[in-house]
Amino acid sequence: MKDIISLFFAYAKSGLKSRFQYKLDAIVVIFAVFLREAGGIIAMYLALLKFDTINNWNIDELLFLFSLIFITYGIFIVFFMALRDFSDWIKHGDFDRVMVRPRGLLTQLVLCGADWLAAFGHGTLGIILFIVSANKVGIQWDFGMAVYYVVIVISGVLIQGAVFLIFSAVSFYVVETNSLKEIFYWNMRKFAIYPLSIYHKFIQSILIFVVPFAFVNYFPAQFFLRKADMAAYPDWVMYISPIVGIVLYIIAYSFWKFSLRYYKSTGN
Amino acid sequence: MNTYIQFAVIKFRNKMAYRFDYLLGILNTLLSFVVYWSIYKALYDGASAVDGVTFSMVTTNFIISLGLSSAFSKNEMFLQDKIKQGTIANELLKPVNFKLRMLFEDIGEGAFSVVFNFLPTVVIAAFFAELSAPSSAVNIFLCLISVVLGYIVLWQISFIVQSWSFWLFSVWGLVTIKNVIINILAGAYIPMWFMPDWLKNAIRFTPFDSIYFTPVQLYLGELQGWEILINFARQILWIVILYGIGELCWRKGIKRLVVQGG
Repeated sequence: MKDIISLFFAYAKSGLKSRFQYKLDAIVVIFAVFLREAGGIIAMYLALLKFDTINNWNIDELLFLFSLIFITYGIFIVFFMALRDFSDWIKHGDFDRVMVRPRGLLTQLVLCGADWLAAFGHGTLGIILFIVSANKVGIQWDFGMAVYYVVIVISGVLIQGAVFLIFSAVSFYVVETNSLKEIFYWNMRKFAIYPLSIYHKFIQSILIFVVPFAFVNYFPAQFFLRKADMAAYPDWVMYISPIVGIVLYIIAYSFWKFSLRYYKSTGN
Repeated sequence: MNTYIQFAVIKFRNKMAYRFDYLLGILNTLLSFVVYWSIYKALYDGASAVDGVTFSMVTTNFIISLGLSSAFSKNEMFLQDKIKQGTIANELLKPVNFKLRMLFEDIGEGAFSVVFNFLPTVVIAAFFAELSAPSSAVNIFLCLISVVLGYIVLWQISFIVQSWSFWLFSVWGLVTIKNVIINILAGAYIPMWFMPDWLKNAIRFTPFDSIYFTPVQLYLGELQGWEILINFARQILWIVILYGIGELCWRKGIKRLVVQGG
């Protein structure tokens, strides 16, 4: 374990160094990611100056909801970047290198690749949204609440990690998985940012059962906020994000383990 | 001129080769629209009009502005890649105007996107979303002209930012920031009608509302007589101003260009 932690820090150090080789450029990129993600939020803020609420959610409650998506993605991308870009690893034969090293395959992938600039961009946005909203949405913060917040953030990271672990496993069969990610992750994420209840039932089902983004932000946020639109769903779904995260990750991991046998190098 | 039109035609044909990318493109455009359609459905919450703006005007605004914004997204690292790889030297030696060629290739691509990405999206969206019919055939025609002019405004802004790759290590960040600013201020993320007054007034002094909002207004028949001419004049004025700025950046950049190796 100690060995793994020191490995992570070694990778982090070299990763940060290389990313910040051109300091000004790195800062511009971080700001660009921040602003790109904030674009929809700014538009929502402006719209609510006119409309006040959306499905009874006011702007502070929305910011609290948004914060979960960005904080979890910011952490996710520190650990799972290699899985996000895994089809490239296979295409370029980089995965072969990983296979001949004396550590677990997934351990190496999780530790080595971090998209630091995206992590700072998304992470800062998430943290700012949280700070701005956390005290205005009527949550009685105590130790228990704080612990549960940390737990759901970890669950959110696990859920998204599991989704990408499945994509990576698919890369063993078909090398090119970018369209798959585009449809099932990036497009679903566009929806997941906003309150689930504004969508058609069909879209809601996809976000609950297929790509369970609902457990990353909407249901856990309802635990804290208890908005009226939660009446459409059973109460217990507010509590099961950690279970969804762990179970999904175990399923994804088994699928990955199973698929590993079918790996054929693209190199020569 | 014929040469440049050929560039556009070739690019148009090239795009037809990638079928799956093309279907995915429609899905992307459609889903972006569905997100905003759902948001405004919830915001309207059954109301027929807000500030005199009906829900179908809002959906029409989104299908035009967000739909075109999504369809017109292109590789904006083009110039930077040419400069980084040094292949720009070969391009400059050819007996065609590089910038004009780039414009026509992009127009070819843009025309492809309008016909095969934007229009199918509109047709699919018409099945579930409340879209306004155009106020008349003349309005469709005027709208199409202003879409082309709006596209050239959009293209010029993109070209200016891309041309900074002569000076900067990478323009990716600036291109991204530019696109966020355009999408918000041109009304792709929020209809112009609902922006606060101070912001609306400020936007009148920028090229942004002439990109998508002018076509939207023409389609809906919101502009009458003189207003139509004034809006076309604004689009043309911005094309001229932005052309001047782009040309300045381009000429200074070319002078500064050093290509290593070949």
